[in-house]
This record gives sequence, structure tokens and C-alpha cells, in this order.
Amino acid sequence: MRYDSITEAIGNTPLVRIDPAVHGLRNIDLYAKLEMLNPFGSVKDRPAWHMARPHLEGAAEGGGTVVELSSGNTAKALALLAGLHGLRFKSVTNRMRVPEIKELLLLLGAEIEELPGRSECLDPTDTDDPLTHFHQALTEPGSTYLHTDQYFNPRNVEAHAEGTGPEIVKDLDGRAPDWFVACVGTAGSSTGVARVLREHDPEVRVLGLVAHKSDFIPGIRTIDEVHQVGLFDPATYDTVESVTSGEAIDGMLTLIRRCGLLTGPTGGAAYQGAVRHLRDADAALEGSGRRESAVFIVCDRAESYLSYVRDRRPELLGRASRGPTLATLTDDEVRAGGRSAAVNEARHWITEGDPRPLVVDLRSPHAYAALHIEGSVNIVDELFEELVRGGLPFSKRTPVLLACPVGERSLRYAALLTRRGHPDVRSLAGGIVAWRDAGAPLVRE
Amino acid sequence: MDVPLYLRPRVDQPLASLLGAAPFLHSLADALGSPLNVLLPETVAANVERFRAVYRRHHLAGRVYFAHKANRSSSLVRRLAAAEPAAVGVDVASLEELRHALGCGFTGDRVMATGPKDPEFLWLAARVGATVNLDSLRELEQLAGLVREYGLGRVGVLLRLSGFECADHGGAGTRMLSRRSRFGTPVRDVEELLAAVERHADAVELTGLSYHLDTTGLEEKGRALEQCVLLMDKCRARGLAPRAVDIGGGFGVGYIADGEEWQRWTTALSEAVLGGRPPLTWRGHGYGLRNEGGTVRGSVALYPGHRPNAGPGYLDELLSLPAPVLGRGPGTLLLEHLHDLHIEPGRSLVDQCGLSLARVLEVRGTGEDATPYLVRLGMNAGDVSLEEHGVLMDPVLLPRGEPGKDDEGPVGVHLVGNLCLEADLITRRLVFLPRLPRAGDLLAFVNTAGYAMDFHAHHAQRQPLARTVAVEREGGSWRWCPDEDYWPITHPGGTPA
Ligand SMILES: Cc1ncc(COP(=O)(O)O)c(C=O)c1O
Repeated sequence: MRYDSITEAIGNTPLVRIDPAVHGLRNIDLYAKLEMLNPFGSVKDRPAWHMARPHLEGAAEGGGTVVELSSGNTAKALALLAGLHGLRFKSVTNRMRVPEIKELLLLLGAEIEELPGRSECLDPTDTDDPLTHFHQALTEPGSTYLHTDQYFNPRNVEAHAEGTGPEIVKDLDGRAPDWFVACVGTAGSSTGVARVLREHDPEVRVLGLVAHKSDFIPGIRTIDEVHQVGLFDPATYDTVESVTSGEAIDGMLTLIRRCGLLTGPTGGAAYQGAVRHLRDADAALEGSGRRESAVFIVCDRAESYLSYVRDRRPELLGRASRGPTLATLTDDEVRAGGRSAAVNEARHWITEGDPRPLVVDLRSPHAYAALHIEGSVNIVDELFEELVRGGLPFSKRTPVLLACPVGERSLRYAALLTRRGHPDVRSLAGGIVAWRDAGAPLVRE
Repeated sequence: MDVPLYLRPRVDQPLASLLGAAPFLHSLADALGSPLNVLLPETVAANVERFRAVYRRHHLAGRVYFAHKANRSSSLVRRLAAAEPAAVGVDVASLEELRHALGCGFTGDRVMATGPKDPEFLWLAARVGATVNLDSLRELEQLAGLVREYGLGRVGVLLRLSGFECADHGGAGTRMLSRRSRFGTPVRDVEELLAAVERHADAVELTGLSYHLDTTGLEEKGRALEQCVLLMDKCRARGLAPRAVDIGGGFGVGYIADGEEWQRWTTALSEAVLGGRPPLTWRGHGYGLRNEGGTVRGSVALYPGHRPNAGPGYLDELLSLPAPVLGRGPGTLLLEHLHDLHIEPGRSLVDQCGLSLARVLEVRGTGEDATPYLVRLGMNAGDVSLEEHGVLMDPVLLPRGEPGKDDEGPVGVHLVGNLCLEADLITRRLVFLPRLPRAGDLLAFVNTAGYAMDFHAHHAQRQPLARTVAVEREGGSWRWCPDEDYWPITHPGGTPA
């Protein structure tokens, strides 16, 4: 495969059969359409390119900025496409809830504008709706914004009607599947694919999946939110069902661990929602001698959602630890093993001690710079924890005074270092706060 | 009609047992008329304690200042005046609120003067040693002028800031937009303000920085807080010694008990706006949503009724946020920098502190299928301004006598007020009640003490204004006294507490 531009690598994604031993359906063949294998990593590469292409190719020398309301994959694809054509990209969103995606967008050079949260003190006459402002700014004369408008732009649907849908039919030897399952975000992929499949076979049943209303699955909308999507037409779907983030992660784990498909939560949601829905249909087929097929879309990859998983299933990403650590110290061990020094005692120790103690301030560098005990060194607690994981970071012959804001964390560290064999580590009782309140001197950088 | 779309209110103790004492509430309304406001001053103290627990968890010092604007009552302010002085203060936004707070027992050093300020307000605040939360440069100069002219002592001031989105501390490439505010001085003008503080150092002493953002968005507040910490450092570098960051109010209240009910209702609203089901509101009002070619446009102008984590929980969440610039959560940031935290909760501090009672005057069939009944109350939309604040909650029905055997089950009714105005609906929503009320029954609108209780009541139509009483539980019964006669050192009725 030789290409002149990465954009030529968009589309023609594989359709992979899921092992029946995994999903347990006996009469339905289940296939995954691997949109995650597009070059920018998601199902959005197609519509992003299809929507932006006419503008990008024309606007190349004029400069300007591509803007979109997107918190994820569309933004990612558009940022890369804009960069490729010498344009800038700006994402406007209040849904930037996955930190890795945000950081990735920044890496790609995107600008991000986050819309304000809801008003706490309600003003029913509020005209200050940020989306209205956004649309006004776009239509101002002389604006150099290219708005791809994914929630309303028919080219979003077209990209799938011309690409994704026909590819599925081709890979199923010219037939449409009996079932098509897709998560609904902009409704572009589900609408475009459904249209093509129904042209082949009006009997295709289309299942749309939305996020459970009080839940959050990146890239999918809730049942209320889909009503705000211009491309969403209830008639496209035979059924609309909701999935929870728990189901999405379950599905993700199954596809990753048992099928070798490195999917993100949306693909997981599509798989889990599909199997849940198809169970009844599968039972009904039993003994009829008929087989049916179903296709679901794997939208994107797992890597960007580690913090999403960490928030919801921390045990999946847990790290086993070796030896006593801060986390494994019990309160009793802290009380028994942690020595502390009251402010007066500490002041005396610092000035008269023989040898004098090394004073370690565990607060952040910014707080340390603002005010600290003269002569102290600053090692932020997170870093300190890393340091002591491997052993003792200072000689046993050097006495140490640890200081934190109120003397709690430092006491835990004192207990930990004592257990690791340091003979004289003490924690400043009451911390820097007590030091200040006692009128002891603090200096700033 | 399918399942009734209830929006049943969250009711905690002791408000729940007060609602259980229907004969007591009926006797109060019989004696004092409808509408009637009932307050539970002990609850405000319990709420302070919940906020203090969050302070303790984060090891933070500083004060909880009650935003007086949320409720005009005396009993609540007096109860707070009797609380721990180092922990509890009051935020007053007008001359009258200041006078009221002082009359209720707050000493000047526990008062924070906020809002737009006239010279009289500024002078009295300075005179009694209140902290002045300065809105603008002009206010600072006016205050300094008064201090000099009348030989007052140096006044502690906070600078109220706004426009945090303009500062580019958000990290490369990100900018967080904020709702525009009329209050406070934009962060970009802070240099000028600090220079003025230094110029007027004989009259004012900078004790901290403040903001109040009208948003439920935690990230925006977290960023503003972080920027204040950075600015505090700037102040210290200039030789000033501010100690507190005041993060305002807006911690919110969860009004609806059951999240599912709230979600079912809001989903139904979208469907109704699209024409997929009968209207849920008087004349199909969409609460800000509209149907544009089959797509819902606009944003819902409603208070987020079900908030699983409001009030102290929200503060805790805010303090625990990860901070993008300095890499520490706001709570740790304040603690490490040795800053005090001030908060100014209004609505959330009077959560569960009271209810508004209305007598059912008339129940009328309309002959229409969709909305068969109008229930007229001895109250109008100004007496309980739930609609004005976008708060949707079902009232609790307190029958006068035993329910009749032939009383039908759940009904949808429209609640109309005692004004002959087409617009005088107590709520625009079709309200579901467990059964049809009868004339003489009471409806209790609970949790109205924050902004919704007599906030918009006025004399214009010569309807009676609600009286307000304070109640306290004693053993198995309730005692009451007029709001203005409540003092926390005695029980209602005058016996020593
Ligand atoms: C400066 C200030 N502080 C506190 C509040 C109280 O906010 P809430 O009642 O939402 O807690 C307000 C409300 O407008 C305010 O403007």
C-alpha cells in the first residue's frame, strides 16, 4: 500500500467476526466493523474528512480556523486535517471530560474553548446562552471560521452512506446484515449506514444505543441529548436503548481480553448493547434452521480512556506494591512509629541541634516559594513517595524534620521512614500552619 | 394518563416530622392566615456544621458567611449569630441587611459587606469594622475617602474578581469561557486595583481575594480559585499580606428526592416540545426549549432539580478537584499556601430550613381531558417564587380531615394563585398530587427558604403577605413564635433554652 497522503488511508476498515464462544449467540453471526483502525483512530475520520475537504482544499492559502463543537474524535481528526492543510483548529465544548483526549488535542495543536457550566442562580430571561454566542460569532461578516457543524451537516451522514455502509455490504458478500447496531453521538454513522443497508434490504433492523440518562459514555449522547441533534431522526431506528458506563466497560473488557480488539468504551457499549438485545432474537431463531447476522461499530481505541476506566473501575488498573508503603501503613502503625516535634522543640533543634536536622518541606513548589522555613528543602510529597518507594533518600546519620501543612502527612512519612530503619525522623507537629500561628519566621523566595 | 409525573421533594428531618404534624400546621394557618411561612432555625445551624465538617476534613480555617439575601428572616440570622464567632459570619448585600444583621447580634467583625454599595452602606460597614468585599476601583476610592473624612479605623477589604477566563493560566491552548458577570473587577485590571490598595494603605488593609461565579461548573470554580492563589502570591510579593480566599456561594441544593423522577420528567418535557406527547405545562410552555423542524433547540431554563451532590458535598468535591496549573487540588492548594477559606452560601445554607403553606380555596373541573382540574390557592406566584427560580417541586398535600373513601388516586392539577391575572400560576407545570385536594386542605411547598420564600412578594395587589413563624421541636410536639420574636437563647414562647 503506497499513498501520497494519509487521508487516502481513511476507510476500508476490516469487518471481524466475533467468536460465538465469546458472545454466546447460537444463531446469529456477530461482526465488528473496526472503525478504530482509521488513521486518526476513529469512526470520525470519515465524516471529518468529508465535511472539511471542500473547505480545506479551497482555503489552503487563505488561512483561517476550522471550528467544531466536539470533545473527542471529530476534534482529533479535524485538528490533524487542519494541520495538514496549514489551518488552525478550534474545538468548542463543555464536554471535555476525558483528560487524555484533551491533552492529545493540545498536542495536536488544537485550541480548546470550554463553555461555561449551567447557571446556578437561574435567570429565565437569560440571553447569554453560550451556544448562541458561538453561532453568532461564526456568522459575523469577515469571520474566517470554517464550521463543519457535525450535528447538522448532511455530509456527516453521506460519508458513511458512501463508505462505511457499502463496505459492510461488500464484506458480507453483497448482503445487508439482519441487524445493525450503533451508538448515537451525532447520529451520522448510524443514519448513513442504516440508509445504505435498508436500500439493500428494507428488513434490516437498526438498534440505536444511547447513554443511560444519568451516566456518561464518551462520544454518546443521552436520550434527551439526541433530540438536540439535527441529524437524529427517530424513524432511523427500530429501537433506541440505553447502556450504562458499567456495561460499556464490561463490553470493552470482553472485546479486549477475549477478542484482541483494542476498543474504547463506545465500542464496548455497542457490543454489550448488541448482545443484550440480540439474546431474545437468538432464542426465537432456535430450531428454525435460519441464521442471521449482525454488525456493530467499534468507534475508537482504548488508550485514551484509561482515566475513564480508572475513575469507574480502579481495581482494573491497580498496582500491587512491595514492602511497607504509605498506603499500607495503618493508623496504629503511624501512631506507634511516627515521632513528632512541637514547634518550639523543632525551632530549637534546627538552630542548636548537633547535627542539625535536614528540614524537608513536602508542599508544592509554588506554596514553598511563597513561604517556607529558612534553610528547608522542598520535595513535593508525590515525588517523595516515589523516592522512598525504592529506599531511604538520605543517610541514616542525618536527622530529618518533615513538614507539611498540618503535620498529618509528614507524620505518616516519619512513621514509614522509621520502619525503613531511619533512626531520627520527626514530623513538625501541626505543620507549617502551627509554625506560622506560633509566630515562627517564614521566608519567601 | 400514564404514570403520574411526580417531582417529589427531598424532605429530611426535622422538616419531615414537621410535615407529619398536619394538625399543628393547620392550626397555625387557621390562626395566622394563608400564605404562611414556617422556618426551622435549628436546621440552619446544623447546615453550618455540615460545611464545617468539610473544612475540618480539608484542615482549612476560615468562615462560613451566610448570604443574607437568600432569606429576610430574623430567626435564621439570630440563630447564626449565636453560633461559633470564629466559624460563622454573615454576608450582607445592602444597608438594610447590614442593619438587620447587627440587630440580630452579629458584631461588625463577623460581617462581610458585598454587592453594590451606597455611601451609607460603606460608611456603616466601615464604622462597625466589617470586612468590605470591594466590587470596583471606584468603590475602593469611595471607601478610602469615607475612612479619612470620618476618621474611621483601617478597614479590612477583599477584592472581588471576575473575568477569570481572560487570564491565560488555563494551560496551552485551552480557554474556559465564563458567563459574563456585572460584578467584580476583571482579573486583567487587578494591577490597577492593587496599586490603589497600596495608595490607600492608610485607609484599607487587603485581607483577601474573592469571587462568586454563577455556575454549577466545578472546573470553572476550581480554576478561579487557583488563579486567586496565584494572585495572592503576587500580592505577597508586593508586600501586602492577604490571608483569605472567599469563593462566594452557589453550592446548590438538591430539591428532588428521586433522580429517576427528575429524569423522567425532563425527558417527557423534550418529547412534549417535539409533539410526541401531550403538553406537561400550561399552554405548552417549553421552559426554554423549542421545536425547530423536529429538533429540540434552546437550553432548559430550570434549576437542576436533582443534585446528588449539593451544598457541603459540592464544596468537598470542589476542594478535591485536580488543579491543572499548580498540580494540587484546590483544598490542598489553600492549605499549603496557608490561606483561609471563606464561603458565602445562601441557598445551600438554608436547605431544608422551612416551608410555605397555602390554603386550598377552590377545586374546579375544566372539562378538558389533558388538564382536568384547576386548584386555586390562598397564595400567589410572588409568595412562593419557585417558577421564577426554575425550581420544580410537588407540594405536599396536608388534608384537613381524614381522606374520604371515594377520593380518587393520582391527579394532575394546575395550581393557580389568588390574583386575577392570567399569568398568576404558582407553577406552569402540570402538578401531580396523590389525590385531588379539597377546599380547606393545605399545600406545603417545602424547602422554599432559599430565595423562593416571599422573595418576590409585594403589596401591589393588596393581597395579604405571608407571615413568618419560627418553629422548634420539643419532645413529641412543636412550639412556635413569630419570626421576629425568636431568640436562640430562649425557646419559642420565652422559657430559657
Ligand atoms: C457575592 C455573593 N455571595 C454569595 C451568594 C449566594 O449564593 P447562593 O445563594 O447560590 O449560595 C451570592 C448570590 O448571588 C453572591 O452574589
